[in-house]
Amino acid sequence: MNRYALIIEEFACWGCKACEVACKQEYNPVDATNGIKYLSVWGDGPKLMNGKLDFMWRVNVCKHCEEPPCAQACPVEAIMKREDGIVILDYEKCTGCQLCIDECPYHAISFDEDRKTVAKCNLCHHRVDKGLYPACADNICLAHCIYFGDPAEIEKKILEKRKIRGGWGDIIPKAIKISRR
Amino acid sequence: MHQFRYSNSEREMEVYGYDSVVKSHCRMCHGGCGVIVFVKDGKVAKIAGDPDCPIAHGTLCTKGLASAQLAYHPDRLTYPVKRVGPKASGRWERISWDEALDTIAERILAYKEKYGPESVVFGYGTGRENEAVIYRIANLLGSPNVLTAGHFCYGPRISTGIITCGTNPIADYENFPKCIMMWGNNVTISNPDEYKGEPFSVALDHGAKLIVVDPRLTRPAARANVWLQLRPGTDAALALGMLNVIVNEELYDKEFVEKYIHGWEPFVKRVNEHPLDKVEEITWVPKEKIREAARLFATTKPAAIQWGVAIEQQNNCADNDRLLMFLMGLTGNIDAPGGQVLNRTPNIVNVGQFGAHGMLPKDQFAKRLGGERFRLASRFAIIQPKCVWDAILEEKPYPVKMLFFISSNPVITRANAKEVYRALEKVEFMAVADFFLTPTAELADIVLPAATWLEMDYVGDFWKRHGYILPRRKVIQVGECHSDHEMLNDLAHRIGQGQYWWDNFEKALDYILHPMGITWNDFKKMNYIRGEVKYYKYKEGGFSTPTRKFELYSTTLEKMGYDPLPQYREPPESPVSTPELYKEYPYILITGARPPGFFHTENRQVPRLRELHRDPIVEIHPDGAAKEGIKEGDWVIIESRRGRVRQRAKIALGRDPRIVAAQHAWWFPENKDPGHGWDESNINILTDNALEGCDPAMGASNIRTLLCRIYPEKKHPMKKKNRMSDYRD
Repeated sequence: MNRYALIIEEFACWGCKACEVACKQEYNPVDATNGIKYLSVWGDGPKLMNGKLDFMWRVNVCKHCEEPPCAQACPVEAIMKREDGIVILDYEKCTGCQLCIDECPYHAISFDEDRKTVAKCNLCHHRVDKGLYPACADNICLAHCIYFGDPAEIEKKILEKRKIRGGWGDIIPKAIKISRR
Repeated sequence: MHQFRYSNSEREMEVYGYDSVVKSHCRMCHGGCGVIVFVKDGKVAKIAGDPDCPIAHGTLCTKGLASAQLAYHPDRLTYPVKRVGPKASGRWERISWDEALDTIAERILAYKEKYGPESVVFGYGTGRENEAVIYRIANLLGSPNVLTAGHFCYGPRISTGIITCGTNPIADYENFPKCIMMWGNNVTISNPDEYKGEPFSVALDHGAKLIVVDPRLTRPAARANVWLQLRPGTDAALALGMLNVIVNEELYDKEFVEKYIHGWEPFVKRVNEHPLDKVEEITWVPKEKIREAARLFATTKPAAIQWGVAIEQQNNCADNDRLLMFLMGLTGNIDAPGGQVLNRTPNIVNVGQFGAHGMLPKDQFAKRLGGERFRLASRFAIIQPKCVWDAILEEKPYPVKMLFFISSNPVITRANAKEVYRALEKVEFMAVADFFLTPTAELADIVLPAATWLEMDYVGDFWKRHGYILPRRKVIQVGECHSDHEMLNDLAHRIGQGQYWWDNFEKALDYILHPMGITWNDFKKMNYIRGEVKYYKYKEGGFSTPTRKFELYSTTLEKMGYDPLPQYREPPESPVSTPELYKEYPYILITGARPPGFFHTENRQVPRLRELHRDPIVEIHPDGAAKEGIKEGDWVIIESRRGRVRQRAKIALGRDPRIVAAQHAWWFPENKDPGHGWDESNINILTDNALEGCDPAMGASNIRTLLCRIYPEKKHPMKKKNRMSDYRD
């Protein structure tokens, strides 16, 4: 069984926001003037972080948790985790009750006023299932810091980069296990 | 199991049922990135990066990705129009291309006859790779006046590069510099001409050390081994300080200095006039940090400098560029792999030849506006904008009667915007070619609909110095839009230049390529062509300068009557040069930090890009914000001696409390008033364009560093404007 994860090494992110627009291109028609974001990049700082003046870019997107609390919170089972790891929100089933929004520790679920449902990244499963990389992870990123694939493999790649940089880089948590309370 | 492959166009075609795919070359900024455009039902359906592109390797930025929203924008001008009401009345009427071009041609010929060809000024902004055609038509007409951003953007790198070492030295990321000094620049967000963020980022991931010179803590500064947080506008002093360390600690490349340098002794004398104590006092950078950075840069080989426009939009423009080149040269990094390479472009008709500079008669060259004052700029066919505004407003030294701006929005981008606006209101006839009715276009008599990069064939990066050319292939046609090249080719025939132009512009592309023995049809089947790759070329024939040496002491500048050695001049407004003014305007304002998505004044109507930044942002330190009673997100007034504008406050550490940093190039296309809010948040309302404050050689306006005050808008609200908020965060 394949194991899929989307892992972003925020240390390397330059805040260029190309992933945000690539995501928009995938989901919104060209004449759309707005629309909900599944992924967003925001500047954290400059501020003191661990006693050091720092400035990081953060990427808000569904982490496809091992034990997703949003799925457990959903009363109509509109969110489910596939065997390959992708956590999918079924827009047909979603009633828009928004119970999942508060449960997400990553603030990666929002409410879509137009559709009256919640919205989140489904990891481009319509692409993944046909052998295509998710839109944001398809070599768009100038920092090459958006990884898609087997989480163990990704972890290896990131640690290797960190070594070459002389110890600089993100420490990647083991597969993200979050359960409700 | 599926085999995942990056940028898998074949699979993409199957899955989405696209009809065709075209490889092309993006031009949403200075260009460079190879792209793949997927087409369905005759329309652009998706844009992706081209992994075969040697420049960006398949990565792409927000602007490239959103190009289709620009091309198909409902507000786009898709046919020629003429103004039927007063200027800025917003009353336009559709006309045919024939009527538009005939009217423009008639005016050009009439002004040429009555006031001389110098009374017709052509202009472009950061350009759509149209510089060569625009110079060609102007030179053949006999007008020495082409108004560009060249006085303070890229032109200085070219001019000072040529007089120092023969060309503009380009950081060689391909060979992985081990140390990168990013100076007044953030290549991960913006596109300083030859450079893209991707190769820079990859070089860092290969372990390069990083030095960042910036008054603001950008992400690169936060990641740097050494961050030099200088006082704005003191770059030349800082560079002289670093050179002082390199000279006195003998960290320079001795062979290079011995064999290939002109002017060592006077240079050393100049450098010794800048001891680190003095440099620390000028720049606010602790001398230990300057020493640390100088040592790191000089002793790590190879090393490269990532430079850009910020150091050029200052009164020390030419000397800033030269000093950075001296840092490259003295450390032996010039034309070294992984250092700063003097690239060879492919063997084509270059921009200078195509631009027909040799065809401008000598007596017309002598009439170049400001040519006697800004002699280095004039040598490179560059003029200072204020000289044009003066010629319109005061008819001195002669009247300018007609402007033709092609991809330029000077009302927003040039210093002292109110004066620019007055000049454009007064000029007798103005034509503009652009995508939209911009605040500049609203003052024109005729506006021509310009094609985006998706709508043209062209030899991409034809003018650059990274050594590549790449084919830009036409994908779509939108309305009656024409490329700048096509419309000028047509216009040239109508003003009697036919013999020097072509039946259609494809033949001009053949002409550009003919020295290589190929045609456009051959070239468009290729991915790219690269010039000969060779390092240390100077070891054989020296440098292409008058002395054949790397000129620290510029014989060209000496002949022109300038100081042959670089010097530091205080900004025209600063706590040091104008202490009395500083009491009234107690903050140093820096302008022009780039947000992703915009290219100067462009893209504020493109939804996918505007939603990244809905409002103009001015950054202020928490101490300053507390003192002025400013809270996060407040609309604030920024005011200088010349005027005031409103932007929204972002409160952040990572800058000196005496500094505020405002964004540039803001106007509001959603404001349907014909001014489109040109004076609401436009930071050039505040900047000065007095010639005394410009760089003496290049005429660069000092728009990056000035003095201001800042306070909450609610104290002194500006007149309410009709702003629509179409955009969500």
